[in-house]
Amino acid sequence: MVRKLFRITTILGLVAVVAGLGSAPVLQARQDDHIGNRGNNQLPPQTLRSGFESTDQLLRDVERAERAPLHSVWIVESSRFMNVPFGGFQPDKAGLNTTVDLPVNVGIIEGPDGTLTLYDTGWKQLAYIFDWNTSCCWKGIRDQMVAIGLEPDKVKRIVLGHGHWDHAGQLSEFPDAVVYIQKEELKQIDFFLNYPVDFNAGHIRAVNTVDPLTGAQVGPPEQACARTPVCGYPPQTVQEILGKVLSGKARIIDGRHEITRGLVIHPAFRGHTYGSQLLQVNTARGQIVFGSDTYSSWTGIRDWLVANIQQTDTVQQFLAYEKCYVLTSRLFSFNNCVAAHEPTAYTSAYPLTANWWNIPNGNCSRAAELILAPGKPTHVPGNPDRNLCVDTTPPPHTVSP
Amino acid sequence: MSALGAGLHRRITPMSVLLGVVTLLLVGVLTFAVSREVTTTSPTATVAPSPRPSRPPLEPAEEMYMRALWPIHADVERSVMRISLGQILYKTEDLSRADLKTRIEQALTSYREARTRMHALSPPTSLRHDHDQYLAAIRLFEESATEAMQMFKDGREEHLLAAYPKSQVASDKIREVGGKFWPNEFPPN
Repeated sequence: MVRKLFRITTILGLVAVVAGLGSAPVLQARQDDHIGNRGNNQLPPQTLRSGFESTDQLLRDVERAERAPLHSVWIVESSRFMNVPFGGFQPDKAGLNTTVDLPVNVGIIEGPDGTLTLYDTGWKQLAYIFDWNTSCCWKGIRDQMVAIGLEPDKVKRIVLGHGHWDHAGQLSEFPDAVVYIQKEELKQIDFFLNYPVDFNAGHIRAVNTVDPLTGAQVGPPEQACARTPVCGYPPQTVQEILGKVLSGKARIIDGRHEITRGLVIHPAFRGHTYGSQLLQVNTARGQIVFGSDTYSSWTGIRDWLVANIQQTDTVQQFLAYEKCYVLTSRLFSFNNCVAAHEPTAYTSAYPLTANWWNIPNGNCSRAAELILAPGKPTHVPGNPDRNLCVDTTPPPHTVSP
Repeated sequence: MSALGAGLHRRITPMSVLLGVVTLLLVGVLTFAVSREVTTTSPTATVAPSPRPSRPPLEPAEEMYMRALWPIHADVERSVMRISLGQILYKTEDLSRADLKTRIEQALTSYREARTRMHALSPPTSLRHDHDQYLAAIRLFEESATEAMQMFKDGREEHLLAAYPKSQVASDKIREVGGKFWPNEFPPN
């Protein structure tokens, strides 16, 4: 009797394991493909009409992209924020009372014609970053690219996931590249610049969110960027964008935009900032989706935790997570979502980035080869340096006296 | 057939053989997964970070100067941002020519006032260089805005492009000084 029971239990267990291995991901998003005909009531109430994409629309983009050429993809670590309180990064984990080191990742995508597209550009380094900040490992993006065997002059496009200073710097390093940014991103800054700061102690501000000497955030209690609409845009960053606009090298877009076959921008409005945008890339491992700070944390996407909320509507961030789940539903699912600040990046814990190495002479900054197009040679050195390190060498001043 | 052989024959049924094969397969997959996980790249060593430089305590005179510069800095930043975005939104036809002109005129006024207010400050010797840098930046912003205003006289938008390099250098300068004085002004984003 006991033997029979044991045998039945074993069989049931095996069936469960096999079923678990073989089950396909189930899409939970509604299949609303006729928004225009049915009116606003068909949209989820929290969804912004502008920038909304239905599951069917996204799946059609997958089908179109799958017929397009394959791309090669790398990420490089522009810099690293050190000792950031975990709660500031993932509010659900504030109770851990620990700190975390966060990479600032930039995506590099090589198309079939050999031209390169950047997703974000890291920050523009000046001495201040090093002098008093706790950051590490900054290296100019052009130098990083050369060190991993890519030609900076082949960069023809830059897609800005959002316009914050640590993601939209160094634009002027690529004078020939066309920048893609959402109009919504620019309009929000402009709106809040005109917001009265003399009302209600200036709790809503575009710039200058700290007490000048203590460094404490203005407003009740420690409102930080999470409750300050546009605190991440110094004039310097907006100037970089202006330079592109004035030289005719900017595409200011509104919503979804197919750059070229297999390279599609998807809006993620308020997923991190008002005009955040994703980038879908067709590769040999299916669709890879870059999300900048909308996808600040990959584990956050995996476990459905909001992260780095800043100007985020958390529902919009989750809807943006779902966009990645939909776009990657045929292969690898959330494993193909690329996060800007995932702490486990460049380790096997974040499998997409596991093929990493320290960039030679890169101040401890790291690179990872995510996927190659068929026939393309690897850029990973034969004997890669994979010793995690922290570099504190001061960068040179870039401003002349 | 021996008693042992007969007993084995009774126990080795097709079902038990299948079970055995599946179990062996699963154990194999598990072993492969574990060994792969163990051998896959992971940080093998950590170089301990050297101590970061910490900001020395401010002298009272330095503190007073930074406190006085803060509201000037706020006005300058806001004016620069309004001009920059004004030009972008003008180019995208979201802002009228007249509104752009108004913004640039307001910024020019703001820069002149900022310069006057800065001349009234007495920076301590240790901050004299930063003070001069900031003043130089405001002058560059003024020159840039003045150049941009030419567009409304002769109608040539090339003046905006000509005005740009000075405002770019100036914005680097105020970021440099601002970052040194108020390092948390723009926190990690």
